[in-house]
Amino acid sequence: MRDFLRKDARAAEDMYHRFAPRVFGLGLVMLGNPSQAEDLVQDTFVKVWRTARSYDPSRGSLDTWVLLIARSLAIDLIRRRVLETRTMASQEDPEAAVEPSPEERVEAQDLVGRAKAAMGSLTPGQRAALELAYFQGKTSAEVAELEGIPIGTAKTRIRTALAKIREVLEVEHEV
Amino acid sequence: MRCEGVRPQLPDYVLGTLSETETAAIRRHLRGCASCREDATQLDKGVALFAGAAHVAEPPPELKERVLAVLEEEWAEPTTPPSRRRPFRFAWQAMAAALIVIAGVGAWAGVAQNKANHFREDALAYRRFLGALGGKDVRAGTLTAAPGVTLDGSVTMYDSDKGQSWVLVLARAPGWSDPVTVTLQDRSGREITVPFPIKFDANGEGWTGMVTGANLSSFDHVVLTGANGRMLAEGSVAPPE
Repeated sequence: MRDFLRKDARAAEDMYHRFAPRVFGLGLVMLGNPSQAEDLVQDTFVKVWRTARSYDPSRGSLDTWVLLIARSLAIDLIRRRVLETRTMASQEDPEAAVEPSPEERVEAQDLVGRAKAAMGSLTPGQRAALELAYFQGKTSAEVAELEGIPIGTAKTRIRTALAKIREVLEVEHEV
Repeated sequence: MRCEGVRPQLPDYVLGTLSETETAAIRRHLRGCASCREDATQLDKGVALFAGAAHVAEPPPELKERVLAVLEEEWAEPTTPPSRRRPFRFAWQAMAAALIVIAGVGAWAGVAQNKANHFREDALAYRRFLGALGGKDVRAGTLTAAPGVTLDGSVTMYDSDKGQSWVLVLARAPGWSDPVTVTLQDRSGREITVPFPIKFDANGEGWTGMVTGANLSSFDHVVLTGANGRMLAEGSVAPPE
């Protein structure tokens, strides 16, 4: 990160190789559109560069920091897409929405399947809470309201979900 | 904050869904509590592992060149803040800002208001004014909106060595009605939240500011966040020379 801040091209390449696949994958899952997923990768790296000095290792890992930036940008994209769809609906612009190809849909669905597999050890309630918090950036209070559960239960489900996933995936990693 | 209050918040903290104020409070606690810090680290690990397993996909090869090219363009952008290149560019704006803050808090009225009419043209009077306040310099910068957000504005900071530093943030966000929180940051991670959020009028213009006995000289970054904690804009001011 230090070298990246010094505008080291090699460091930028390393950052790209480390984070682009995860951000691109996140974009495919959240946006369902490879072209927008590519834009998400680009926007994320620009944002990472512009806010790099605010990254504090004591707050959390670099991986999570970059992912949360990407997620925030993806959520903004989704909201903008909803607005644009509403605006263009009456204009009937044939170029307004570019639908993903069948192959691209399969790839996105495959990623969604992998996400679900990673969450296979969770109860339905834990899985729903984590999906809402991770992929949609919902707070515990929002998760509680959407799921119709007490806020304490929502917090516990998210915490338990993260702990279980860590246990399962750390074991797979070691194996 | 105590551990009993922090631990339930850690999943939200790690997932980045807390407000800036809550995040800052948690961070302060974690600096001094190894146990909670370890808890947060384990949760963070869970997030990173989940991401690695759940949504890794190889982007098209041409994307790499595109991203690196964009980064090179970013790197080529001039980084010298306007206040360094043209030190008096913001002089009259800073004085106008100073008068707004001073009028609002009712302090230094005799010094400021008597000289108000001359400051716009008289850089020497500006320096005399700073000397009277006991300060070093006024720092100013512009706000950059987050992607998808329409907001512009400026931030002005004054560093007093007589315990009367102040900051003023002016913002314009057409159509925005929710209050916006302003947080000052320094490079070590310390934060100060301006007590009063920006409230926008019918024209989409608003401001906030504060006068403080705190030393603001190390604070060179501001972040504007909405009610849900999402960052809306940010800005930098040059550190004092």
